[in-house]
Order: sequence, then C-alpha cells, then structure tokens
Amino acid sequence: MKKLTWKIWLLLIVLILSLLSIFGFPPAFFQKGVLVTGVSSDSVAFEGGLRQGQIIVGIDNQDVDDIESYSKILEGKYLSGEKVKLILQTTDEEFIIFSDKMPDMIVSEIPKTNVKMGLDLAGGSRALVQAEDKELTSEEVNELAEVIENRLNVYGISDMNVLPISDLSGNHYVRIEIAGATPDDLEKLVSEQGKFEAKIGNETVFIGGADQGVTSVVRSGQQSGIESCQESPEGGHYCNFRFAIFLSEEAAQKHADVTNALGIDPSNPQYLSEKLDLYLDDALVDSLSISKDLQGRATTQISISGSGKGETSDEAYEDAKVEMNQLQTVLITGSLPYKLEIVKLDTISPVLGEEFTRFLLIASLAALLVVIIIIFIRYRSIKATLALMVTSFSEIIIILGVASFIGWNLDLPSIAGILATIGTGIDDLIVVIDEARQKTILSLKQRLKRAFSIILGAYFTTLVSLLPLMWAGAGLLKGFAITTIIGITIGVFITRPAFVDMIKKIEE
Amino acid sequence: MENEKNKFEKFHDKNYKKLLLIPALLLVLSLVYLGIFYVNNGDFIYKDISLTGGTSVTVFEKLDIVSLENDLSNKLEDVHIREIYDIVTKEQKAVIIDTRSDGDFTKQVLEEYLGYKLNSENSSFEFTGSALSESFYRQLLFAILVAFIFMAIVVFIIFRTFIPSLAVIIAAITDILMTLALVNLLGFKMSSAGIVALLMLIGYSVDTDILLTTRILKRSEGALNSRIFGAFKTGITMTLTSLLAISVALFVVRSFSVILTQIFTILVIGLFFDLLNTWITNVSILKWYVRAKK
Repeated sequence: MKKLTWKIWLLLIVLILSLLSIFGFPPAFFQKGVLVTGVSSDSVAFEGGLRQGQIIVGIDNQDVDDIESYSKILEGKYLSGEKVKLILQTTDEEFIIFSDKMPDMIVSEIPKTNVKMGLDLAGGSRALVQAEDKELTSEEVNELAEVIENRLNVYGISDMNVLPISDLSGNHYVRIEIAGATPDDLEKLVSEQGKFEAKIGNETVFIGGADQGVTSVVRSGQQSGIESCQESPEGGHYCNFRFAIFLSEEAAQKHADVTNALGIDPSNPQYLSEKLDLYLDDALVDSLSISKDLQGRATTQISISGSGKGETSDEAYEDAKVEMNQLQTVLITGSLPYKLEIVKLDTISPVLGEEFTRFLLIASLAALLVVIIIIFIRYRSIKATLALMVTSFSEIIIILGVASFIGWNLDLPSIAGILATIGTGIDDLIVVIDEARQKTILSLKQRLKRAFSIILGAYFTTLVSLLPLMWAGAGLLKGFAITTIIGITIGVFITRPAFVDMIKKIEE
Repeated sequence: MENEKNKFEKFHDKNYKKLLLIPALLLVLSLVYLGIFYVNNGDFIYKDISLTGGTSVTVFEKLDIVSLENDLSNKLEDVHIREIYDIVTKEQKAVIIDTRSDGDFTKQVLEEYLGYKLNSENSSFEFTGSALSESFYRQLLFAILVAFIFMAIVVFIIFRTFIPSLAVIIAAITDILMTLALVNLLGFKMSSAGIVALLMLIGYSVDTDILLTTRILKRSEGALNSRIFGAFKTGITMTLTSLLAISVALFVVRSFSVILTQIFTILVIGLFFDLLNTWITNVSILKWYVRAKK
C-alpha cells in the first residue's frame, strides 16, 4: 500500500470532523426519548423547571422511546381530572410536577442530524417589517428588534430569530423568523404598534408597558380567564375574557385626581359622569363605567375585559384566548416605538417539506449518476471515476458539516448553492484528470500544478462574482452566496488538492 | 481520423474569423430583440411576483387548474396557476396560485372560493410588498453589474493582457444577453431565483474561458491549434457533463419546485450558449490575437 499524502489525510480528517458535526457525538440516532421544543412560560411544567431543548427519556420510571410511547404514558394519567404527581426524567435531571391536566408543552422526535433546514423547507414563518414613513438609523432598528423579540417572548413564542438587517440601498428592516407552526395573528403581533391608552375624557390616566404605569398583568388564576360564551344575536358565537392589571402609584394617583373633578352621571347615579375608555392603537376597545365609590381614590387594580368571536363556540373561545394573550402582551411590553408595515410575510407549511427533501435527493442522485457515467465513458478508468465520486461526495458532506457547525439553516437558495459547488467542482476535477493525462515532456507534478492554476483562476472569478449577493435583497439570497462560497473554498483548498494527489497515485 | 483532424484544422485556419459572424449575428439579433422588448414592456424581462410584489399561495388540494384560473381571474389581479405533482404517479399534490393582489385579500378570496379556512396545515402563503420587490429587483441588477465588474478585474489580474481578458468578458456578457433574449422569447417570467441563475452562469461561463485562455497563452508546448484542440476536449467534457446532469435534475425538479426549475432551465439555456461563445467567439478572438502578435 502506497503511503497517503498529507493532503489526503487532511481531507479524511475534515471529513470525519464534518460527520461528527452533522451527527453529533454520540450520534443522535442512538438517543432515545423526545425533545421538548416548546414550554409556555406560564405553565406548571415551566415552573417545574422544564425548558425547551431538554430531552425526556422517561416518565414515572417508564422508558420513553419516541412520541408514541410519550403520549401513550401520558394519555391515561389525567382522565380522573384530579391533581396527580408526574415524574419526568430528562437526560440529566428529574422533574416532579403536580397538575390536573397534561403538561402544556410541545415535544417532537429528536432530530437525527444537526443539519437544520430553512423555513422554506421545514415550515415556519418569516416577516420583514419596516417603519412606516420613517427612515430608521441602525441603532433605532436594533432597538426595534429588541422590542419585537421581547413582545414575541412574552406572547410565548420561543423558537424564533429576530434580526435587524439592512440592504444595499440602505434600507433597514427587522426580520422575524419563527420555526414550526405559525402563531395565530403573527401579523398583528409584529406590526401592530400596540399603543395602549386608558383615558377619562381627554385625560390619559395610564399607558401600556411595564415601566409606563402598568406594574403587572395577571395571566393565570382566578383573576384572569375566559368568563362566558354566548350565541350572538347576529349569528355566530362570542366569548368574553377578563383579567386584572395592577397600576403604579403614580398612575393610581392620576386616576384619583382625574376622577375627583368628575360629577355624577345623571341618568345612572351609581356611576360617575365619564367612563374609563381603553384604546388600542387609537381604537376604543373597552369602556368601563366608574363606580362613584371610586371617586378620588387611588385605585391600583383594574379589571380589563374584551371578547373574541367565531362561527362556533370553540372558535370563539380560541379567538378570545388569542385576543386576551395579545392584549396582555401589549400591556406588559408597551407599544412599539414606530408604526410598522409588513413588507414581506411568508408562512410556509411544514407539510410538503419532507417530500420536497426526498425529491431533492432523487434529483441529486440522478444528476450524479449522469456525471459518473459520462466520466467513466470519457476516461475509461474505474479508479479515476471512483476518486471523482469520493471527492464530490466529500464536498457535500463537508458543506453540510460546516453548515451544522455554524448553525446555518439550509434554505432553498442554499441548496442551489450546494448544486453550484458540485457543478464547478466536477468541472475542476475534469481539468485535473485531463492535465494529468496530457502528453508533454513535463513531469506529472508540473502538469498537475498547472491544472491548479486554472482552478484557482476559476475560483477567484466565481468568488468575487458572488460577493454582492451577500448584501443585496435584504439577505434573502444570502444562503446561495454563503453555501457556494463555503463550498468552493473547501473545494479549492481541501478536497480538490486531495483529488490531485489521488490522481497522481492512479496515474503513476 | 488524423486526416479529418487536419482537414478541420485547415478549414478553421482559413475561416476562424468568418466564424465570428455567427455569434456576432446572434448577438445583434438578441440586442435588437431585447431593445424592442424594453420599449414594449418598460423592462428587460417579464417579472414574476417575487420581483413585482404580490402573493403566492400553495394549497394542498387537488383542483382543476384551468377552471380555477377562470374562476379566480376576475377576482384577483393577474392570476397565474401551476401545479405540483408526484413524479412517479403523476398524481397532483397541490396548486400554486400567484397573484399581484396582497396577502390578506387573496386569503379572503380563496377561503370564500374553497369554503374552508386556510392555515399552515393545508396551505403556504408568501406575500411580498411591491416596494420591497422593486428595491429587491434594482439591487439584484446592481449585484449582477458589480459581479461582472469584479469578475472582469480578476480576469485582467490573471492574464494581464488586454485583448484575451476582454475576450473572456465578452464571451460572458454575450452568454447572459443571449440567454436573456431566449428566456424572454419563451415567455418566461423571471423570479429572483432566475437572476441568481444568471449569476451562476457567470461562474460557469468563465470556467471554460479561463481554461482555454490559460492553455493558449501560458503554455508553450505544441502548436496553437493542438493547444486549442486540447482545451476544447477538456472544456467540452466539462460543459456537456454539467449540461446533461442539470437536464436530468431539471426533469425531476419540474414536478415539485418552481424555483429550482427556473434556475436549472436558465442554466441549461446559458450553458448551451456558452458552448457557442467559448468555442467560437473566444477561440476565434484568441487565435486572431496570437496570430497577429507573431
């Protein structure tokens, strides 16, 4: 056996590292259990210590292998409606939860690889928002991104990515990406300014936001929830919700001062002459009559109500829940600093993603088969054809390895980038084989060195022609530029030099 | 074989300048066509909604696309409908509805038409505002321009001679222009992915030109013609391999991905013109240059 050169060793090492990066160590497919992908922050499970990212391997000392066994064990547990003890074993801890209903969290199968698919393949939603009628500075956009992220967090969305971005024309956007199912009303959540005002007459008593007068918002227990559902006279159903909020001393004093100046409502002497009007983005959402007992008193607790509607009573209930959560979110996080407009909104269903990946594999394999056949017919050498296959496959594996290492989500433009890499890669390998086989007086080594000068030339032209795409178009095509640049760089510095050495051994 | 090769060499030696007329004629035709196209349409391409703004909805349902298009065309603006199908069974999987109308309105119209609510289990929505699309389009054009300039600079640095470098750049520009003309002639609506394909084309096209120019200028062994022929053998293998591999992949992706279909179609067209522009345009200019220098 001839000794391997250091270039081939380098390829092997990088290949192994890439496989480790893709499959993890120990490889994820040996890991049993289910992955927690979401825990709502006001749930018992969350209070008990469960967090997103943990892996549940056992429940009440029974093994959990997959989703099926997870739901099977839990199913029977809460039929009685009484509080029962639940022991959840994760990979490194144990949690005990007492509750009368199933833990409010989302679990999924443990992903077999660390390769993450982008929204357009795995499903999810993406919004691009911009301030309406105002040019923001990059500082202002950063701030805006923080406020939006906070708002989504309070709403209960955890698997998301909020980024301030700018493009070649100097436009600033905030990009919001949420993996998995699209939350209802995402549009409202990210674009509605959420300016909450409580007014008596023309006087503002308090506005929304934890540091603006509302000290806390009750989100669970007796003082928060959906009260009643009814059939509406105009058809359909509606449900009412109500929750309590606490005001700061200052806001409470303001309430006292303003009400002091009011008279009694002549038609309804139990109440004062003006109502407490609640506005959301300048639209009246609720109007509360003020009992005359409250005149001049510093009230720190106020009850807020509203309603949701739908075709059926279930729909109305869900709508009311969403509306309530949204209003609570706005009250806690305060208003966004600017009026926003959504310039792009994609909600991609996860349903077709899997099939898409399967078809993509078929397409790539078919293309690769064609390449192999042509190369074999042209050069009549099994060894050279094999070496070319190995090199091409290595390039794919290393790109995927780097992508999982840096946490890059592979979207459709990235896939196109991988294809582009393979294409130019095979072009380069053909140059190498042809130069090696040229009939000249030069030594094989010199001939291969010359092959590489062509490869380098092609590399630099492709590299520079991709650079502008890193910034153009709000970064939506960045995936193409990044994967191609990673791919051809790995190709030129690692895999293709190793291929040169392989050909050297074959042709010698 | 050897005899025929000699015959061809003689023919090429005599006629290589005349051969330049073929790409020149095609280039003029393309330019005239693109000019007329621009006057008529106010732009160089037909843009799809990713560049004009609008909504693309994928509904996972078997629907007759002809009647759907008829029914929706008076309610939504500029409706265009395609289908996704299983490549093996040919069974329809989903329909894609493209329209210039905005997201909310489109959703409302479709829900009314279908009689049920659309959510992330039965559909996908992609909405792009028209201002964003327009800025997107301008930036992509700018990106192509900058890419070209960068590429040209690198080519000049590599070869450090004016005419051969210019020949590479001319071949690449001609490639793109001819591809654009044919794409328009076929009535294709370009998406942002299509413009990315044009960028990929720059890379592919320059590969073979660099191979050719390096072999001819930087090598001293063998006669000029045999160096050209050697480069031709390598280059044609490169381009044909890519062309065939992409064509086969195109056949598969046509069933499920509009974006990849567009990228691959443009690459196939572009690679085809690349054969012409590398092995006629670039070869003839280089041969002329080398002969004149002697």
